[in-house]
Amino acid sequence: LWMSRSYSGAEMSRLSLNQIQGGKVVAVGRRKRKSVAEECRMERKGGVRQAKKDEQLSAKERRQLLQLVVCGSIFALLVAVKLLLPGRAAVFNAKLSDALTRSVDVKEVFSVVGRTFRGEEEAGELYQVVFKPEQKEEQQTEIPLPESVAALERLQQYRLLEIEAEPEEQQPVEENTEKQEEVATLAYVLYSKENIPENVSFEQAILNFDYSTPVSGTLTSDFGYREHPTEGEDRFHYGVDLAAEKGTAIQCFADGTVKAVGDSSSYGKYCIVSHGEKYSTLYAHCDRISVGSGDSVMRGQTIAAVGETGVATGPHLHFELHQDGIYLNPIYYLKSA
Amino acid sequence: VRRPIRVTAGFILVTLWFAAVNGWRMLGLILLFSMVHELGHYLILNWYGAEICGFRINAFGAALEVDTSNLSYGEEILAVAAGPAANFLCASLLALGERQKWNVLIGCNVVLCIFNLLPLRLLDGGRMLYLLVAWLAGPQFAEQCLRWVGVVSAALISMVLLSVIWSTKGSFWLLPPIAGILLTICREVQENKHFL
Repeated sequence: LWMSRSYSGAEMSRLSLNQIQGGKVVAVGRRKRKSVAEECRMERKGGVRQAKKDEQLSAKERRQLLQLVVCGSIFALLVAVKLLLPGRAAVFNAKLSDALTRSVDVKEVFSVVGRTFRGEEEAGELYQVVFKPEQKEEQQTEIPLPESVAALERLQQYRLLEIEAEPEEQQPVEENTEKQEEVATLAYVLYSKENIPENVSFEQAILNFDYSTPVSGTLTSDFGYREHPTEGEDRFHYGVDLAAEKGTAIQCFADGTVKAVGDSSSYGKYCIVSHGEKYSTLYAHCDRISVGSGDSVMRGQTIAAVGETGVATGPHLHFELHQDGIYLNPIYYLKSA
Repeated sequence: VRRPIRVTAGFILVTLWFAAVNGWRMLGLILLFSMVHELGHYLILNWYGAEICGFRINAFGAALEVDTSNLSYGEEILAVAAGPAANFLCASLLALGERQKWNVLIGCNVVLCIFNLLPLRLLDGGRMLYLLVAWLAGPQFAEQCLRWVGVVSAALISMVLLSVIWSTKGSFWLLPPIAGILLTICREVQENKHFL
């Protein structure tokens, strides 16, 4: 209706006018009814005025058509950018949504104004809150609670012990020992419950490659703190556990190169695949690994089979996603069975 | 028939945007104390027996449409000042209490009071300026005075708001009000070219 109005507005109005006079129209919008009533009045006042009204209408409709064209071309442009440059569009999208949610802390501003009104605060503080919110946040984060400092120190000591202890337990399949040490120290480290480990991110990163779910199994353990199934303590779980039958094919998450294949006391048989320079994935507790270090692999290619090697209470895949040494939550990129 | 209450699309846009970014609680607080503000106007107008024709809600807030033809300058100034005064009174009463949680409520009232006293045509401050000058020097001079003060202060306010956006790298919900302020500047200049 809108489009046709753009081309023959006068005709349309006259049509609806006739319909109203015939008493047939059931639902006509309030605005429309008003304009029809206006036209009715206009017609009574003579043909000259009517012609003028038509002219005005067409001018208004020209403007509306222009608006439609402008909005349409912006829409088409955005769709084109999204289709042709999906990576950039995603990055832009993330930046935009980040900027849209960032704001002056209105509550804090009101609170400072309130304190100033009571004479408890200098007016300079208001300037600080409105124009330099980042500095205030920095000041706050510089003074962590004493408890968490102690906890962090304990954890760091624990990690150092773990680094020294781990290599002895390992029985490397490949010579890539340096990588294996790194992997062994990465997981199953005790952390205090109050702290999220520093090398962990819960934010959803935007992956600039295609990916697929390695095993369609049941999610039995999520990313984050959990009670360790064999040790009984709360520990940070650096990946997700997907339970499946022993021998189920593990398909590669994305195109890439096998970086390491190994065997560890905790991970069991595992392999690491790098996807580009930034990202890599880890598949642990495998029954067997069917690729070797340095192999090129494709997304969906079978690289291993589900098993329960290492510390495991049943056949499952422990799947991790790393971005430059940071553990990401893989759950965002997996489809449930 | 004129509708007694009119709500503009600009108000809905700003409200939803503000609530999405700052939360519904902050929005509720501002709307509540805006009601206190309007109540202040209403009580004084009712006292003087002025007729209230309608209630308009736009991007800048709520406004009462009043037939002021039978009010004197002094009476109308009092009625206009009653809104910000209601907010100031509310803030002062809240400040008597010791609770630190009330700081936000006090701040909200003070901000509303000061915001409404800005000398823009749409706000109480502008209307008061017009009435005061008209009382002292006649309506024509008052109109000219309000125009210039309005345009200059609107430009200053939009610059301050833009610098808030710039320094926080966000707060984009301020954009519609800024656009509104700039539009009023354009309208003032456009409609009154002979004054330039």
